[in-house]
Parts: sequence; C-alpha cells; structure tokens
Amino acid sequence: MITFRKYLKQSATYKVFSHFMISFADFLDTLGKIAQIGFRVFISICKGEISWKELIFQCDRFGISSLPITLSIVGMTSMIVASQVAHEMVKQGGSNFVGLLMTMLIVREVGSIMSGFALTSMIGSSLASELATMRVTEQVDAIDVLGVDSVSYLFVPRVLSGAIMMPFVVIIASVVGVLVGAVTADVFGGLPYRAYFESAWLGLYMKDLGVCLLKAATFGATIALISCTCGYYASGGAKGVGLATNKAVVWSFISIVVLDMVFAVLFFF
Amino acid sequence: MSIEVKNLTKTFDDRKVIDDISFKVNDGEILAIVGFSGSGKSTVLKLICGLIPYDNGEIITSEGDIAMVFQYSALFDSLDVADNISFALHERKDLRKKFTEDEIRKIVSEKLEMVGLKGIESKFPSELSGGMQKRVSFARAIVTNPNTILYDEPTAGLDPMSSTLIEDYIVSLKHEINAASIVVTHQMSTITRTADRVIMLYDGKIVFEGTPEELLRQETPYTKQFVTASLEGPMQMHGG
Repeated sequence: MITFRKYLKQSATYKVFSHFMISFADFLDTLGKIAQIGFRVFISICKGEISWKELIFQCDRFGISSLPITLSIVGMTSMIVASQVAHEMVKQGGSNFVGLLMTMLIVREVGSIMSGFALTSMIGSSLASELATMRVTEQVDAIDVLGVDSVSYLFVPRVLSGAIMMPFVVIIASVVGVLVGAVTADVFGGLPYRAYFESAWLGLYMKDLGVCLLKAATFGATIALISCTCGYYASGGAKGVGLATNKAVVWSFISIVVLDMVFAVLFFF
Repeated sequence: MSIEVKNLTKTFDDRKVIDDISFKVNDGEILAIVGFSGSGKSTVLKLICGLIPYDNGEIITSEGDIAMVFQYSALFDSLDVADNISFALHERKDLRKKFTEDEIRKIVSEKLEMVGLKGIESKFPSELSGGMQKRVSFARAIVTNPNTILYDEPTAGLDPMSSTLIEDYIVSLKHEINAASIVVTHQMSTITRTADRVIMLYDGKIVFEGTPEELLRQETPYTKQFVTASLEGPMQMHGG
C-alpha cells in the first residue's frame, strides 16, 4: 500500500494533477481577494472616502503618462490591419467599405482592447510593483497603524483614475487609429482619403461609441483593481514583488479578453 | 495600566509562534522584549497593534492611539518628510478636518524638533541616512500623541552613535508623553539604556521576566546564554 502511494506520488499524472489543484486553489483565492477588495472600494467610493490630491496624481499617471505608448500601439495595429485590408478590398472592388470596416474594428475592438493591453503593461505592472514594494517594506502596515484604512487610501484613487481616464485614452487612441488607417489605406491600397472617410462615417454608431466608453471605463477600473490587489497581497522580498507584478499582468490580460467577450455578447448579439 | 496581554496565542501553519503569554506595561514604563531571531518578538507587536489577528487570549489597551516605529522605518518613499509626519493628520477620518494647514505645519515642525531634525521638512526619505529615517519615523509615530508606542528593533542596523541617539529619544519620549512603550530588540545597549523591565521569549513562550540588571546577572540558563551570546544552552536557533 505504502509502495503504491509512493509510486502514485512520483507519477507524472499525480504531479500534473496536484499542480493543477494548487493553481486552481490560487485562482479561487485571487478571485476572492479581488472581489472582496472590489466591494470595499465600491463602499468607500459610495461613502465619498476619496483622497482628491491622490486622485489627481493617479489620473495624470493613468492618462497623460500612458498616452504615448497607447497611441503607438493602437496606431501601429491600425497600420498593420489597414495595410492588409485596404490592399485586398480595393483589389476585390470593396473600396467603399474600407473606412467602414476600419472604424467599426477600431471603435468596437482595437481601440479599447489594445489600449487595455498597453495600460496593463505600462500602468498595471507599475501599480502592482508599487503596492508590492510598499507591502514588503511595511509601508502598508504603517498606513494601517496610523489609523488610515489602507484599502481606501491606496485603491480608491487608483481604481477611480482608471475608470475616469481610460475612456479619454481610448477616444484619443481610436481617433489616431482611424486617421492612421486612412493614411495607410492611401499608401498601400491607393484609396483616396475622401472615399475612406465617407464610408468611415457609415460605420460609426452612437451605440458603438457608448459601449466603447463603458468598456474602456470597465477595463481601466479592472486593470487598476487587479494590479493593486496583486501588489497589496504580495509577500516576501524582491521575489514577492516580481511574482505579484507577473500575476497582475497575466490576470489583467485575461480579464480584458474575458470582459471584451462579455461586452460583445451583451451588446452586439 | 496601559497595555495588558493575557494568555495570548498565535499559530502560523500549525506552528505556535506565540504560546500563551501574559504581561503588563504601565504608563510611562518601557518593557523590552528580547530573544533570538524567530522567537516571536515582532509578532507580539503586530498582534498588539492589530496588524494580524490572534487566535486566543486578550489584549487590553487603555483608550488612545497605538503608534509603531518599524524596524526599517517604513517611511512613505513617495512623500516628503513633512507629508510623512502629517500623514495621519491629513488622511485619518477623525483628524482630517481638525487642524488647519498652518497648524499641521507647526505640529510637524514641533515633532521634528523633538527628534532633533529641524528644517528637513521638504526632504524625501531617500535623501536621509538610516538614523535620520528612524528619527523621522519616531516623529511620525508621535504626531497623534499616542499613549502606547511600540518599537520594532529601533536600533537594528545603526552605528553605535546613532543607536545611542535613538535610545536617548526612546527614554526622552517616555518622559515627555508618558506613554507605555514596548521595545523589541536583541541589542544589549538598547536593553540596558532604555528598559525598565525585560521579558525574554523563546519558542513563543516567556522564559525570563525581570529588570535589565537581573538579566545581566545571568542567573538562569536562558539569560546566561542570551547575554553571553553562546550557542550552548537551552535555546536553539531554528534552522541553525
């Protein structure tokens, strides 16, 4: 019996299964922490427990500082898509639909999802490592000992700034994406600007804009909430900070894709 | 009586880190908690100030604030010295609207003067030496005039002169604000210069309680091993 148990523990199936169970338990634990902190943040916002000075600082960080990288990523994605779409569609006689397709694609998906990825890699990772460093250097403990609610002080301005600033970032990024698409369609497909923009307007609906802004606000708040939670619960030293940052980026990326799918199902089917 | 700990127990992963300990600290008294690394000293402080929950027992503190000076100062590195010290006055719900900005500036200046660091309000923690950071963290801890102060290894990693300076501040703060203080340390100079009473922890239990003089007399195997820093004796280092 003991031999069988020993054999079982050494088997690859057992190792894979135990690794899966540990990962699953960690997944549930993280999900629970995010939900718990999210609820506390919501209550704090409802009570008006907002540090305005910190909110302004975080808005600057979330919006202004991240703009160059976000615009670059959305602009380049639009360029890649437009270069292939324009060339092929003009060849197939669909030049009247290039602008429409690009606008729909950028407003509905590319603008928000690429901005989400850019903000995750730039701001999310920075939020996670900042809070993780504060945790391992006992700064979070110091906040609590001084009688200040660390969740309210650290999370509320960061989550709010994500929800406030991300729609602005996505709007600017989408405008840049559509413009880059026009230039690219002209260069690679020989499509005149007028033809591009005439069909571009046809692909722009108020519902799309509304959903795009709502999605952007949700992405912003989610990236901030997940990143801060992963950092807040960090433990150990430098390794703990690295693990927390890694976890924050992975969780934020997955959450953006899952939320995007939820939005697509809710609003476009 | 300012702090009374009764039958306190704390377990981490099936290991009893604090095992049924009881002690009292009166106002204006400094109690040193000593012991080798991993004996549960810092855990006691974290339990008293509520950073971690305890499993069993009771902690009774008289009304008022509990302040803590952390081992590595734990200053907020994104804030300057003035904002670090005034943090509780700006951010705590019950204090937020109690003081004007001018009053806060005055309080910050007074507290900095108390720790001998006047005029460094606009400096950031990274611009200060370890000893200065520690003194700023003292100023931050006493900004709300607490009646209990907890010091976690206040002289660890400091040079002998800075240690002496910090020890003098601990004693002068005792006289100035009459707080009940607990100093966690394993440095003999800190024990002898600051403490009125000493308790020694080993494996989460109190193995000695007395005055610093009684500790130095080495009348028990535990005190003898601690004072002589010997590897031979009843206390064994975990993982050593």
